[in-house]
Amino acid sequence: MNHIIDSLQQFWQFTGFANCAWQNLVMILIGIGFVTIAILKEWEPLLLVPIGFGMIIGNIPMFPGLNIGIYEDGSVLNILYQGVRQGWYPPLIFLGIGAMTDFSALISQPRLVLIGAAAQMGIFGAYLLALALGFAPNEAGAIGIIGGADGPTAIFLSSKLAPDLMGAIAVSAYSYMALVPVIQRPIMLALTTKKERLIEMPKPRPVSQREKIIFPIAGFLVTALIVPSGLPLLGMLFFGNLLKESGVTRRLAETARGPLIDVVTTLIGLTVGASTQADKFLSGKSLMIFGLGLLSFVIATASGVLFVKFINLFLKKGNKINPLIGNAGVSAVPDSARVSEVVGRESNPNNHLLMQAMAPNVAGVIGSAVAAGILLGFLG
Amino acid sequence: MRRILASIALLVVGVSLSAQNASDLVLAEVLVENDSSIVDDYGRRTGWIELFNNSQGTVNYAGCFLSDGKVRYMIPKGDARTKLGPRQSVVFFCSGNSEDGTFYTNFTLQTGTTLMLISNNGKTIIDTLSIPESLPVGFSVRKTAQDKKGMVWKTEAEPAVPTPGVINKNGNEKTGAERMAERDPHGWILTLTSISVVFSALIILWIIFGISGRAFQRRAAKAAQPVSEPIKPTAIPDEAKESETAAAIALALHLYLSETVHDAESFVITVNSSGAENHWPSPGRNFRKEKL
Repeated sequence: MNHIIDSLQQFWQFTGFANCAWQNLVMILIGIGFVTIAILKEWEPLLLVPIGFGMIIGNIPMFPGLNIGIYEDGSVLNILYQGVRQGWYPPLIFLGIGAMTDFSALISQPRLVLIGAAAQMGIFGAYLLALALGFAPNEAGAIGIIGGADGPTAIFLSSKLAPDLMGAIAVSAYSYMALVPVIQRPIMLALTTKKERLIEMPKPRPVSQREKIIFPIAGFLVTALIVPSGLPLLGMLFFGNLLKESGVTRRLAETARGPLIDVVTTLIGLTVGASTQADKFLSGKSLMIFGLGLLSFVIATASGVLFVKFINLFLKKGNKINPLIGNAGVSAVPDSARVSEVVGRESNPNNHLLMQAMAPNVAGVIGSAVAAGILLGFLG
Repeated sequence: MRRILASIALLVVGVSLSAQNASDLVLAEVLVENDSSIVDDYGRRTGWIELFNNSQGTVNYAGCFLSDGKVRYMIPKGDARTKLGPRQSVVFFCSGNSEDGTFYTNFTLQTGTTLMLISNNGKTIIDTLSIPESLPVGFSVRKTAQDKKGMVWKTEAEPAVPTPGVINKNGNEKTGAERMAERDPHGWILTLTSISVVFSALIILWIIFGISGRAFQRRAAKAAQPVSEPIKPTAIPDEAKESETAAAIALALHLYLSETVHDAESFVITVNSSGAENHWPSPGRNFRKEKL
């Protein structure tokens, strides 16, 4: 009988209940919250479900030394996590993004590319704020990239500049990407007048297949030669787009934008979520990162909208740009462009801004990858 | 013939790459009289030699030689530990007895000698390091990178505090973040520079696609100009429709039989007519609409 009781007591020591701390419970509740929001509100479910469930997995309290935790060398989760730590997953996601993105809107209205550059102010605004709050320059750079509204880029850069902060930065970036409609709409309304919101823009011209094929090659050469440190992201983005537009590699393009990106998104979401173990995640720094991340989104959105208003000062009537597409300069494709469309139609139901907003939106993807390359070059 | 030539080319490239790998090793640091530095696996404080892999690839240094000018020690082959990762270092203890293990040389270190790292062909000297007569006890002589890329290594004039297993840095070498913390503590320089670069990159794209877009538009407008006699639209004759149907069935059968597309088949082939419009040049079906 004593043996049985001893065995049960020994077994109890191995259970999650015996090793549970309140921090684990907090993180598990946050994970459940993410999953709930994703299912009920359908906010970025493809990201929040894996991240949320990953949080639950990563915060199951366990007896140390079982070699199953994400931070224990050689465990299955640790091996999968190497894709995040070593930065393999983000370029693969960029390959898929390139293969699914139609750059026609940008090619037909190249002047709108500048909005994608203006919205990157969010990155550098957050960088300045983070420095002022006492973060080291490399940490500030990794935090600032949240303002690019690009989860893979945030993971790529933080894995290089500040691996210790990567969990908080990745969760923050993906959370705010899910909240793009909630964050951007009030800023757009606050910074624009009714008259500005009614501006109608000409329809984009049709783009020939040859232009679409030239774009990824020329775009890659220009951006990669200026910022070689952004090569992994820029190379994969434009390569994926060439697969799509060449017309002769349909199977490769379909794999890149289908099964490949699905697999990598699942793994990146799950492992980033699992990396938020309570002892590493629940800290004052994480809270500051969340605050700075929100501010960077606000600055990025405001910069894009205000930049369009500034450009409009120099444009003739009939050629003006609707400032509601300024928010789309962040690279949350296509969510922020969709916000432009929805808010635009609230003012004028016949004014469709989606195609116009896609131009700064895809320019934002390029802009944030370039910005990440610059930060890596300076701070790496 | 082509295969033979390709094999020879691969062999030549392989040999040259192998040689290049060995040449990436640097005799990075040497400690002659060890009074307080690391101990070997036997608890002894002997002199040691540190090798550094200066490349971005893994180098297998098995078969290479370490020599003090009089005695040569061949690094044993067949030990998996003789692979050195990129920017990594390895320490050899100079116990004077190579039977102590792979990482123990058969000579001891003396001041006033020149150490050599020799390639596995036994002839090519990869690197040398001279140990000054006046090297104090407990201090090492070491090399540090003299350029940003870490390609040029030079022996430091002053004796150094030993740092086995750590990349040698000279006093001025700092990480990018450390440099920025000193030069730009508030971040304004980096911010303004970065914003300028982002704008420059995207402005160049704007210019390129603005110019090329206008050129393509002009070309499209030219192509759209009416020819002398407009072509009258004609209905597709029934024979042509039949030939298209036959072509579609033939293509479907070809794809099915060649087993390159489908993993599983329903064993039913359906060909639906989609009206008079000809879909063959449709981009959605992966056929280019326009001539490239």
